[in-house]
Amino acid sequence: MFTGELHQFVELYLILIMVYAILIMSSYLILAHLSVKQLKEHLKKNSFVNYEVLLSTEFAPHLSLIAPAYNEGMTIEENVKSLLSLNYNNYQVIVVNDGSKDNSMEILINTYDLILVELQFETKIPTKKVKAIYQSRNAAYKKLIVVDKENGGKADALNVGLNIAQNPYVVCIDVDCILDKDSLLKLAKPFLESTEKRVIATGGVVRIANQCIIKDGRLVEVNIPDKMLPRIQVLEYLRAFLLGRMAWERLDGLLLISGAFGAFDKEIAILSGGYDHKTVGEDMELVVRMRRYMHDKKLPYTVSYIPDPLCWTEAPESFTIFKKQRSRWMRGTIETLWIHRKMFMNPKYKLLGTISVPYWTFFEFLAPFIEFLGLLITAVFIILGLLYWHFFLLLVLFVYFFAVMFSVIALYSEERTYHKYPKIKDFLKLLGGALIEPLYFHPIAVYAALVGYMEKIRGTKGWGEMTRKGFQKK
Amino acid sequence: MNELWQLYKSKTWVEPFLVYSIYLFILVTVVLFVLIMISRSTKIRNERLIRKYEISIEKMLFSILFGTENYGSIKKEEDFISLNQKPLFRNQLLESVINLHQNYEGVYAKKLESFYFESNLINDSFEKLKSRHWEIKCKGIKELAEMNVSKIFNTLVKISKSKNKTLKITALNACIKLNGTNGITHLIDHKDPIDTWTQLNILSAFKKGNIENTNGIELLLTSKNKTVVSLGLKIIQTLYLSQKAVFINELIATTNSEKIKSEAKNVLHLFVNPKSSKV
Repeated sequence: MFTGELHQFVELYLILIMVYAILIMSSYLILAHLSVKQLKEHLKKNSFVNYEVLLSTEFAPHLSLIAPAYNEGMTIEENVKSLLSLNYNNYQVIVVNDGSKDNSMEILINTYDLILVELQFETKIPTKKVKAIYQSRNAAYKKLIVVDKENGGKADALNVGLNIAQNPYVVCIDVDCILDKDSLLKLAKPFLESTEKRVIATGGVVRIANQCIIKDGRLVEVNIPDKMLPRIQVLEYLRAFLLGRMAWERLDGLLLISGAFGAFDKEIAILSGGYDHKTVGEDMELVVRMRRYMHDKKLPYTVSYIPDPLCWTEAPESFTIFKKQRSRWMRGTIETLWIHRKMFMNPKYKLLGTISVPYWTFFEFLAPFIEFLGLLITAVFIILGLLYWHFFLLLVLFVYFFAVMFSVIALYSEERTYHKYPKIKDFLKLLGGALIEPLYFHPIAVYAALVGYMEKIRGTKGWGEMTRKGFQKK
Repeated sequence: MNELWQLYKSKTWVEPFLVYSIYLFILVTVVLFVLIMISRSTKIRNERLIRKYEISIEKMLFSILFGTENYGSIKKEEDFISLNQKPLFRNQLLESVINLHQNYEGVYAKKLESFYFESNLINDSFEKLKSRHWEIKCKGIKELAEMNVSKIFNTLVKISKSKNKTLKITALNACIKLNGTNGITHLIDHKDPIDTWTQLNILSAFKKGNIENTNGIELLLTSKNKTVVSLGLKIIQTLYLSQKAVFINELIATTNSEKIKSEAKNVLHLFVNPKSSKV
């Protein structure tokens, strides 16, 4: 009797796992197919685009760059300088010092010859207290505004920026990111392109800059890291940005614009309440809330996405920092999906409610849990002697080779599009990474996500300290 | 459904399914790897060839521009005869002619136009116009407009009504290049909205073309299409055509669009206070 029930359970378990695996694998392939189509179209169009059109006109959208900074004293001088020298005319840079404990403010005041100013602004989104606002006496830095505020976290700092921004579009960035010189030109264009729908946000591709060479705040040489952890993250970012987000853009179902680099329609961002400081996934949450706001108000809108590599960031090189980052990402995902649970499978939100949110729920939020559960049950099967080793090994190979194939598809897309890694040595490094990833990186990523679940259950809040090594300079 | 269930329960499919899937994944991986390698080596080979071709093309074109050579003498050279049959060489030659034409004026530009015509490169551009692929069409339009082939104007007007935005922008820019203000007055009857990006491209073409005769720009203000009116106002503002103020006043009096009215008032305000920003 007991054996019969056990076998039935095993049968049911196998069916569910197989259906889940087939769904997840086919969804990756469908998204990759759509992404590649979208990417090809974008590149074709882009070969005829003259971005200088935006440089030479007063009609270019006016942008406010918001860069929250917390204890960035080591790099803030150079980073702000690079933000002030982007190829664009109609923009201002708002650096929000979020109560740093280091000497960031002193450095900014001395380097940029800052003086206190009385800048009038309306507090449309409640934030922690703004202590002072500074502007430079030097005309060369007239675009710069520095805000000193009480510590309240990244979302709070971004909200201060939204309150102070004088332009209709805001570009929210991580102050330590390396931006491409033309990044603002490319990010601003979609806001001009739609006549029927309002473009409420535009996102750009983020790539990994570890071991790349930086000169005067600009990336001058692209390299692939020797260390395995950041190297595989290069591959992971390629897959996510080239084979994932482009498809969501095509479907108009994009839920996430990276916090490191994204532009927003300020009016809609404020009307939908600004960044939520209660979540650690404030970037995803804002996009979902802005979209939800537009749906609720029945306003035609779209979210755009640029596949060009416009922003370069440093990936964690140590296991501890990586774990902190990924567990935070998982907490952010859980929090966003929970806040907007009303959208789940809700046809009122069209594709967003019926596909995007369920996709994130089943394949981003639940996947690590299901994987972990699978491992536990496999262990139980081994103990009970129920495991068919032959099939088990075939199944492992099946998953392994799918993962390798999918990474190689990403490498092929990169090769045929941006070709940012021309050195054969770098390509082979990435290929090696693709072979090792399922055995080395993936288990760590799953573990970090499980830590994220646990932190959420325990009620952990905040980001935790995220120390960075810094870029290699020339 | 029952049959499927029985098939599933029999488990005879599991092993072949897994084994063939693994083979397929490995095969796709290997094929993609080979394709990446081929793509890389083709890129390297083409880059090497282009560098080689560039040297002989530069020498040839400079001898035509600044020397006494012409196409008649060059076409008899053995090197040229063999190279001219290679598509990569011809593409590179066409690109170099277009690039040089962008940088030279007067007699030098005329020499390049003659070369373009005599060497039949013009036919290569016309062939592109016939292509079913919009991106190739765009390339052809750009080349013909750059070489001032004005007989394509009517074709360009037709193409400018295309639904494809990039093609539309390229055709409109070419219209302006070839026919100045008259190149866009046909927009008065344009039915689809013209987005701001397209408008800014048209504006840029005006600025680049140093178009002196702006008669007829005011006609854009009479269009029923609000985006065309907005374009007209942008051109008037950017080129600072204060003599068109009378037409702007007329527009303010007649339009029922608040947005257009505000844009028009802003242009007038800037004519009075050039350094001020929007009202």
